[in-house]
Amino acid sequence: MIDVKNISKTFISHSTEVKALVNVTARINPGEVVVVLGPSGSGKSTFIRCLNYLNVADEGSITIDGIDILDPNTDINKVRAEVGMVFQSFNLFPHKTVLENVTLAPIVVRKKSKEEAKKKGMALLEKVGIQDKANVYPDQLSGGQQQRVAIARALAMEPKIMLFDEPTSALDPEMVGEVLDVMKNLAREGMTMVVVTHEMGFAREVADRVIFMDEGAIVEVGTPEHFFKNPTHERTKLFLSQIL
Amino acid sequence: MDFSLILRRFKTSSSYYISIGIFIMLVIGIASSLYYSALKIDYVWRWFRIPQYFVYQDQVEIRAQIEGEIESILIKDNKAVIGIKSDEEIEVHTVPISDIRVDEGDLISPGDILATYKKWRVGILMQGLWLTLKVSIIAIVFGILIGLFAGIARISSNPALKWSAITYIEFIRGSPLLVQIFIWYFVLGTLINNILAKKGIGQISPLWFGVAALACFAGAYVAEMVRAGIQSIHFGQIEAANSLGMTYIQSMRYIILPQALRRILPPLAGQFISLIKDSSLLGLIAIRELTKATREVITTSLQPFELWFVCAILYLVLTFSLSMFVQYLERRTQVT
Repeated sequence: MIDVKNISKTFISHSTEVKALVNVTARINPGEVVVVLGPSGSGKSTFIRCLNYLNVADEGSITIDGIDILDPNTDINKVRAEVGMVFQSFNLFPHKTVLENVTLAPIVVRKKSKEEAKKKGMALLEKVGIQDKANVYPDQLSGGQQQRVAIARALAMEPKIMLFDEPTSALDPEMVGEVLDVMKNLAREGMTMVVVTHEMGFAREVADRVIFMDEGAIVEVGTPEHFFKNPTHERTKLFLSQIL
Repeated sequence: MDFSLILRRFKTSSSYYISIGIFIMLVIGIASSLYYSALKIDYVWRWFRIPQYFVYQDQVEIRAQIEGEIESILIKDNKAVIGIKSDEEIEVHTVPISDIRVDEGDLISPGDILATYKKWRVGILMQGLWLTLKVSIIAIVFGILIGLFAGIARISSNPALKWSAITYIEFIRGSPLLVQIFIWYFVLGTLINNILAKKGIGQISPLWFGVAALACFAGAYVAEMVRAGIQSIHFGQIEAANSLGMTYIQSMRYIILPQALRRILPPLAGQFISLIKDSSLLGLIAIRELTKATREVITTSLQPFELWFVCAILYLVLTFSLSMFVQYLERRTQVT
């Protein structure tokens, strides 16, 4: 479903080069939930952003559903419509109501009728448990509620893949659970998911595979079982000892 | 201490009322000293003469065209039908019955008054006010369009767009509006109208060159506001729109511009208030807007004191209405 081959990404800030990704290769199969772990600055956010072309890899190739997204001839918006993205800072549209946030993209990108988009939107809001807030503006919602709206907004495009970039990192601790629950349900329904997170519990419970990154490179890949119980690399062991 | 608390204490203290008193005294003082100095130079205030420049009753005279005899006067529903008969032809006039000056059997020469009536007409100041309003509204609409386009072009990565926008903005902001109006009228106007004349097409009136000058002038300032407005929107908004598969134009239209425009509404209002006032310069290229109308009235009435105050107040009416309208927009578009 997603095939990443030897991508590298270097940021240049104040004339110093920062290597965010170094020769990263990974494969995500349909229906698989892959959790990307790693210390901050390890390149995991850059990795997931590259998958949606929000960051552009300098070299290598990324193929999503058979389409090479680094090919200049690819219409990236077509690919993005099939790939949902959830951000750390929600990025809801503050000038639109919750329901409008969810229905906007299906209407303008998928050219759905307003009624159809509304019906689907309400169903999705119900699914994430905030149908009663459909007509309020995002800033009246708690962080957890906003993030659930953001998930519903991404799902409204009926994506084949969902990318989560630290979806719970900006939340108050008591709201983390409600967002993770929505994500767990999604995983149970067979959605292909790539999740960058610090929630080890989520990784252990939901992930099919865990990717551990450090200094822009993939250090270790394995099942949660393997990863948490028998990590092979010293770096992984150090990381786990620091957080667990 | 909380500022509102300080204010509340101030309001209940006697110094608050003393301050209000000082303000009223100040206004009365300025007004009366103005009046007193006018008396000193024997200026006679004639406010009663002012309303006629807004609306006035005009005496309309209906005159005969031919020589002959009044054959009949038929009264029907407040109208009189006067028939004049000469040797060869018959002329019929329908007139109001209020002031008929002829009788049946009268002999009439061409140009004789048959009847008169009074009609309300719009005075020159009102016409000037209307023209100022019209010019301002058209210039504001085009100013917004130009500003939107130039503002978006200004932050484009395409050098053709970006550099054109920068050149336009810098040229416009770096030269006086009056000079720009003259360039539009005397340079571009002459060129365009001569070319049109050679091709046998009708001329463009000075009004449109004036509107173009104002619109381009405002557009440059609006462009900078639009740019700042767009850049003030958090980058995550564009990313969210992109991640949903929206194109650049879609994300601009549905996500970025609605938020940016709401943010720049207050400075935008200030710009358009300036535009209304700047339209007073158009009098210099023979557009009879409010200021030029006022000057014309003064040359005939010799009442400059009253008329300049009236002129200023009329501008205030326009600008104040606009700022009220923008405040209403701000309130309406406010998110919760």
